[in-house]
Amino acid sequence: MTTPIPRVMVPGSVAKGEVFTVKAIIQHQMETGLRTDSAGKTIPRKIINQFVCRYGGLEVFRADLHEAVSANPFLEFNLRATESGRLEFAWREDGGAIYSLLHDIVVT
Amino acid sequence: MSLTRRHMLASTMGTVACALALLAPKHTRGADEAEDFLFRLTGRKATPSNRLHLVMPAEFSTGYTVPMSISVDSPMTEADHVKSVRVFAPKNPLVEVAQFHFVPGRSLPRVSTRVRLAAPQDVVALAEMSDGSLLMAKAWVAVASNGCL
Repeated sequence: MTTPIPRVMVPGSVAKGEVFTVKAIIQHQMETGLRTDSAGKTIPRKIINQFVCRYGGLEVFRADLHEAVSANPFLEFNLRATESGRLEFAWREDGGAIYSLLHDIVVT
Repeated sequence: MSLTRRHMLASTMGTVACALALLAPKHTRGADEAEDFLFRLTGRKATPSNRLHLVMPAEFSTGYTVPMSISVDSPMTEADHVKSVRVFAPKNPLVEVAQFHFVPGRSLPRVSTRVRLAAPQDVVALAEMSDGSLLMAKAWVAVASNGCL
């Protein structure tokens, strides 16, 4: 399996109080644990089970994901621009690995 | 083969029987089925609400990546906001799909993603509001292939 590559699309600057859209995607197989290989052995589950977005250190959006989320999980959500600061995105994989990205946003 | 009256009658009956068999599940698919499902799962009564919007295609070619959009009409103030929205696919081998958590004043209760569906079914969304009430909405999606393998 290839290393999961996370990507986000966020505007660089937003007017204070405005709502902006975040698009977050990670390349990931999302192995459900329901499939079997050619020898009839179950392929163990390995999915991204949680996505968290923090804004200025505070959690602003979280998604708990289960097996029924498609491969390469994509999430689009909306945040309100409160102050300039750092957006942190973290994807947690089964087994505890965390893939993260940072993005600084300017609020004018 | 010649078309006799008996032959015509038999084939017509067959067509009608097929049509009835196809239509039957639609009639039994009442509003209560989704509500019962949520009650069995959470032990609480959810109210069908038009404040909770679950938007999905009615028909989709593949069960692997079915687009899904959720939004809730809410002011998102401390006193009145959406805490979370859970999504279930009752006909999937594992019924839980996802749970989304929102924060008053900072996030809007809107999210889009893509999900796997094993069979044509009513996808069910359950929103938990800040006053503890549960709202529910459902969307019928007919997928042409099993996306859960």
